[in-house]
Amino acid sequence: MIFRLRIAGWLLGACVLAGCSGIKPYPEALPKNLHVTTEASSGSALSRMRVALHVHLVGADCRTEYQGTVQLNEPSVQVGIPPDRLSYLVFSFSSSSFLGGSSGSISYDTLLRPRPGQTYIARASYADGIYHVEIRESGPRRSAGREIERRGLDECGR
Amino acid sequence: MSMPLLSTLAAATVLLCGCVTQHPQNAEDFRKAVPGAFLARVETFEVNRPVRDIGATFRARAPECLTMKVTTTSQTPGSYQVIVAAYKPTVVVTEQRAELHLQRHFEKGVMAVTKEPEGGYYLLVADAYPIDAKRSRLEIFGPSKGHDVLTRAIMGWATGKNLGCPDLTKIG
Repeated sequence: MIFRLRIAGWLLGACVLAGCSGIKPYPEALPKNLHVTTEASSGSALSRMRVALHVHLVGADCRTEYQGTVQLNEPSVQVGIPPDRLSYLVFSFSSSSFLGGSSGSISYDTLLRPRPGQTYIARASYADGIYHVEIRESGPRRSAGREIERRGLDECGR
Repeated sequence: MSMPLLSTLAAATVLLCGCVTQHPQNAEDFRKAVPGAFLARVETFEVNRPVRDIGATFRARAPECLTMKVTTTSQTPGSYQVIVAAYKPTVVVTEQRAELHLQRHFEKGVMAVTKEPEGGYYLLVADAYPIDAKRSRLEIFGPSKGHDVLTRAIMGWATGKNLGCPDLTKIG
């Protein structure tokens, strides 16, 4: 009996480690067309700020299908978003206290339909309680390009 | 959530509102109530932008940054607390001024102790008035503690120097 309980415990632990939280890594199969730069600081030595990008595909009926999450732990990360298809991108800023007291998460979401052959630059920042996400379609010869306006999921059918 | 925590939050809500038995039911009532209320203040700034531009930035940023539901959790030995707050901004721009109102309705974790206006209790009102063709006076009516991030975000929008959104999980 005790042995079975131990096995169940190990399986549960392995399951949690394997990502039973529902978060899964975003596949790296697609050509990288989104360059994400991240600058984030919790502003306190006692807390940590984590930034992540959750990618969802959007169907013709505007339903979303979660594809995976990219942890934006590095200052610069390349991501492949399916070109010529509508995707729903959610940048989440999550703070947690090392003392385990409190946690909070806030997010910026937008629809994006990458044009084939184009690259996109996203800047995600968090400092002093102010967060900002800006996505631009890169222009020719490294010019600033055009800013992509945020479109909420409710604008999917329009 | 434990009952002592609920009681504390209810008491704090009453204190924040100056121990009143009725909360302001509209933005004008809120402007009148703040100067005499406990833990509330009016801040005034001068901004080198015309009211029209400030109003345009409020219109562009407030719906995106302030229309949201925020869930905060806190855990201490013996208690686990979840609060869900829904925020609702309103922007009104006229020839005379640009206004930004922010209301908050607690969907979970905090009891409403007085009559709540539609959309939630008023949390903050920011008004920009013209000084001259290029400058404006910004008046922010709101809580004096724990809401600095809101004031900084609104100042960033008013000046046009920082269009970022305030992290609403950081406000009290």
